[in-house]
Amino acid sequence: MLADVPGLIRVENTAPEDMLARCLELTHSVYPHDQVYGRFCTVQEYVDCPPEQVYDYLRHGHHLQEWTYSVRDFAPAGEPGLWVGRDRLAERTPIYCRVLANADAMTVDYHCAWDQGERLWMIYLMRVVPAALVLDRPGSVITWTNCRHPYYDHNPRPDLAPRPDRPWVGDYWDLFYAGHGIELANLKSILEYRHANGLPVSVPPTVAAPR
Amino acid sequence: MTITVSLTDVAGYLPGEPVPAEFFTRCPGADQRLRRSVMFAAPPYRHHVAPGDTNVDLIERAVAPLMRRHGAAEIRRVDVLLVHCQLPDLPFVGAGTEVARRLGLAPRWLLDVSNGGCASFVSMIELAAHLLRTTDARTALVCNAQTVAGQVFTQPAVRRLAQAAVPGDGCGVGYLTTSAAAPLLAVATRHIGEYAGDMTLACDSDRRYFEPGLDPMRIGFTEASIGRVFARGNRLVPEQVAEVCREVGVGPSAIDVLVTNQPNRAFLRNWREALQLPPERHLDTFEECGNLFGAAIPVTLDRGIRSGAVRPGDLVVLAGFAHAGDYAAAAAVRWGG
Repeated sequence: MLADVPGLIRVENTAPEDMLARCLELTHSVYPHDQVYGRFCTVQEYVDCPPEQVYDYLRHGHHLQEWTYSVRDFAPAGEPGLWVGRDRLAERTPIYCRVLANADAMTVDYHCAWDQGERLWMIYLMRVVPAALVLDRPGSVITWTNCRHPYYDHNPRPDLAPRPDRPWVGDYWDLFYAGHGIELANLKSILEYRHANGLPVSVPPTVAAPR
Repeated sequence: MTITVSLTDVAGYLPGEPVPAEFFTRCPGADQRLRRSVMFAAPPYRHHVAPGDTNVDLIERAVAPLMRRHGAAEIRRVDVLLVHCQLPDLPFVGAGTEVARRLGLAPRWLLDVSNGGCASFVSMIELAAHLLRTTDARTALVCNAQTVAGQVFTQPAVRRLAQAAVPGDGCGVGYLTTSAAAPLLAVATRHIGEYAGDMTLACDSDRRYFEPGLDPMRIGFTEASIGRVFARGNRLVPEQVAEVCREVGVGPSAIDVLVTNQPNRAFLRNWREALQLPPERHLDTFEECGNLFGAAIPVTLDRGIRSGAVRPGDLVVLAGFAHAGDYAAAAAVRWGG
């Protein structure tokens, strides 16, 4: 029974003018960074490149080596679909990654972790939306969300760190909005440059994928 | 060699006894819709002009303290007179020449200003300063008279609306001189044409405001327009304050006293938050006076000076936006005392 759920605001119990009043009350000029990006961090961008090509580019994980700031040198990690590379944000840090993509929804999720590949908890959720639908223009909208998994605040396997004083990825959480914004700008620049110049958007991997 | 212009003094006047919110909220047929919204939450008190009070009456009373403090002869010598009346008593002629006659002024420059709205005190300061710097004019009087509340918003059919309880009447005046008494450090103003015309007057019939009819005039707020104007106002004032601070060469945190227009509590809260100023450094008179439109800045500043909240040496920033966002302005003054 919906009536048993406390605190619902629905037109049946709240007149439109009260809804408006409530919304005005909740609308500020500025919001503390932590309130907006403390638990979830979403960045989004318009890209002048067809959505199918953007999706295809994102779906191939080796492209992370182009548009991310520091993920490099991917190679097969020994089990199907699992890759291991280096995150050069921190010295001698392996990053494991598995790509889960859905062509119908054009979602591409990178399931990652530092130091180990058994539990991929650091998950980058990306979605490509045809801009024709949402902005009435050609091209794509990309959204990218990270959720603050408890491991960001607490390294579950400190024993695997290459050195005791190696910074932990979660130490950077408060900079994710800025950092991911910069990486998304990289992504936009690459896609738009190749598309505008009639070049293939995707490029072959430098390391052959295992068959 | 730029001539230094100072906002040497300000004075304010509030007509009559405070009118409690119940005057509106308990009137027959009071419409409670929107009243809970922060845009239209009623302040406990406001002032209303008495029947027959004109803009010129209010300005005369507001200027009286300036004459006491600086000498009537000194004030009568002003070279520049700028007047903004939120609700003109007469079309065609403006109020400026009548102010000059009543106060015994003979200004070389006399202008009735009808734009700038709630930020017109800043626009008039900017214009007066320009005249003082570029001509042989030496002193200026700028006047903001607000008489809408007791005249438009007390009409029986308007009084019951939520919007009616927010405005208040009052008058604020500023005295500018070519001196270093309280130097005007910088002004940052913007006219925003794309938001012109978004504030409308409404009647129930389609008559023009001067045509005869029984339906009263009011401000044409719609629920959709409220959201738009709210978002604009949230943005515009902090932007102008940041801009004027950049020109002074300080960050907003260096502001000792911020005085803004005061359309409602939400704007006051949001501007303060946006500039990260503690409440005690953002003065307002909303609880006692409601929305004073253009008179808010000088009235609140006057009160701040008299109460000791504004101290000699303080960096004072005056800021506001007009109408539905068609103008935004900020001025920085190093208060002299």
